[in-house]
Amino acid sequence: MRRSPLPVFLLAASALLMASCRGVDYDIAEVASPDYTGLEDDHDDGHGDQDHDVLEGPGSEEEAAGDLHLHETGVRNHGTVWFFNQPWAASFIWVKIVRDSVVLLALACVVQVVSRPRRLRRHDP
Amino acid sequence: MEDRPLDVSELTKTYRRSFGMKSHHAVDSVSFRVAPGEILGFLGPNGAGKTTTIKCILGLLRPTSGSASLWGLRPADPRVRARIGYVPENPDYEDSFTPMEFLRLFASMRGLDAGDAGLRRLLARVGLQGWESSRIRGFSKGMRQRLSLALALQSAPDLLIMDEPTGGLDPIARKEFRDIMLEERARGAAIFLSSHLLSEVETVCDRAVILSRGRKVREGALSDLLANEDRHRIVHLPPGGSSEDRIEETVDSSGLQDRIDAIRQSGGRILEVRPAFRSLEEVFLSAMGGDRG
Amino acid sequence: MRTTLAFAGMTLRSLLRRRTIYGILIVILLALSGIGQVPSFGVEGESTFIVDFGLFGLEIGAMLLAIGLASNIYPRDREQRTAMPLLAVPLSRGQYLGGRFLGAALVQAAALLLSVLGLMAILAIHGYAVPGDLVPAAFLLVVEGWFLLAVVFFFSFWTSPPLNAPLTLLLFIVSQMSVLQFVSLVPTAPGLMRTLRLILPHMDVFRIKDPIAHDFAVPDVYFLLAAFYGLAYTAFMLSVALAVFRTRDLK
Repeated sequence: MRRSPLPVFLLAASALLMASCRGVDYDIAEVASPDYTGLEDDHDDGHGDQDHDVLEGPGSEEEAAGDLHLHETGVRNHGTVWFFNQPWAASFIWVKIVRDSVVLLALACVVQVVSRPRRLRRHDP
Repeated sequence: MEDRPLDVSELTKTYRRSFGMKSHHAVDSVSFRVAPGEILGFLGPNGAGKTTTIKCILGLLRPTSGSASLWGLRPADPRVRARIGYVPENPDYEDSFTPMEFLRLFASMRGLDAGDAGLRRLLARVGLQGWESSRIRGFSKGMRQRLSLALALQSAPDLLIMDEPTGGLDPIARKEFRDIMLEERARGAAIFLSSHLLSEVETVCDRAVILSRGRKVREGALSDLLANEDRHRIVHLPPGGSSEDRIEETVDSSGLQDRIDAIRQSGGRILEVRPAFRSLEEVFLSAMGGDRG
Repeated sequence: MRTTLAFAGMTLRSLLRRRTIYGILIVILLALSGIGQVPSFGVEGESTFIVDFGLFGLEIGAMLLAIGLASNIYPRDREQRTAMPLLAVPLSRGQYLGGRFLGAALVQAAALLLSVLGLMAILAIHGYAVPGDLVPAAFLLVVEGWFLLAVVFFFSFWTSPPLNAPLTLLLFIVSQMSVLQFVSLVPTAPGLMRTLRLILPHMDVFRIKDPIAHDFAVPDVYFLLAAFYGLAYTAFMLSVALAVFRTRDLK
């Protein structure tokens, strides 16, 4: 019985697509450009991390209030990295989501075809 | 010409054991066939491999080697599934359902046109009239077996595979099951019957296969299996006797001719000479005894 | 297809009659109502809190539903021998799995959508606006639930129910991790861990509770992409589950 070339084709297509996969594809922090993450040097006044520390104990509020600064709402900055480094916000990885979805569907077809029971050849008793 | 409903060829199922223990051959090179309009009895003691064989036939187990083909096709083929009915040993079903719900679902799954009137007639045929809308949860073992039979008969199968269908049933229920088997055979269905009840097999089967320790030890038409070629039965009348005085006796085949001569010389009249028949139990025990060691 | 759909209907009825689903649904709704009580304790940003924790709770609820509905279906069928009459004649293995999955998926989807309605009701009761993105988020939650359901079915064909739950939970947790977090679990084998992370699902694709809670608009196309990914991974898991199921003997 001739075997269908479909699983071979699907496997080859999946392999080609997967060759473009990188282990860090979804780690936006690693693959995003600096202007995306907003982690360019946007603090020219040179204030450091201590200004963003959590207020500790009573008595520090007045002192901290003078150093506390706010960023514009909804803007990517070093304080909102956790919020924007998610797939919904990083449109440059959406094509990778589509790629992986196609690969998964192709692999599902391959697994199906390969695992299907073979038809019995009719034979003379 | 269409292939046979069931053709089992050198079927083997081996369970491998771990840690250096020997493998266990649950079924060992078993071959047999079932023709349309025939009831084949499948006999064997507990652990002989009967249920394992049936599960291989149905595709529930994968044979280690050999094959089981139904109309030349493999068990999982949809064309096969549409033509067989199966009555399992100790059947069980989702107990929150009723028989009518199950029959409707099975009909739907099989693509059958399931009118409720036909389903009620089917349940009545297997003795479940009045229980159509009762939950299976409250059913006895015998009632579940009746439901199994109804599900198996629903599609008017060309091959009926029955695994101990009457175990645990009362004598009346067993007779009802036997009658249904004979009706199905008359319809042209092939029936593969695995049973412990030798009397039942003796009553309905055309041929029998006897299994022991996974191997086939006897096979043949029931009349041939039961015929005792070592013994003959003579029916004769004494000198001057009437039909009310008929005498039946069994003699060894080696002395048959001498006995016939002796009866004639004494003036008696020979009415019938035929091979003596053994009971199936004698055949079965003889087969088991021959297979010991 | 007709056979699979008929069996899915049977599965749906069976699951609804077993009542497991009602217990899980009650737990989810109680948890949501508990979240709705938090604003009375003076928490700032009440609506943000309710939506954020509510959606997180629903993700956990999706996992609980998947485990509760599917982890015991096949093992129970096998032990009680109810699988034999089904698999012997009317159903192929693929139809069995397809029907069981579809039936469970319908029950799970209904429970999740009901839970989202519960979350919306809690917001409305407390006088907060219901975010518009909560509707597409509900359907994305359903897709995530279906993926977890497929994972549970996959495990059910080769593990016991008590092992199925922790395996599913483990997969759920590690699939939320970023690559760096995952690699840090075994820092001595970064290459292997990166490869493994590539293979494991990226469940952060489903994470949209943060923008919804903080009133950020999520592009509509993203919901479609994420749903596509979820459905593709579900199909892959089901095909692998079926491949495993086909090798199992029904003793």
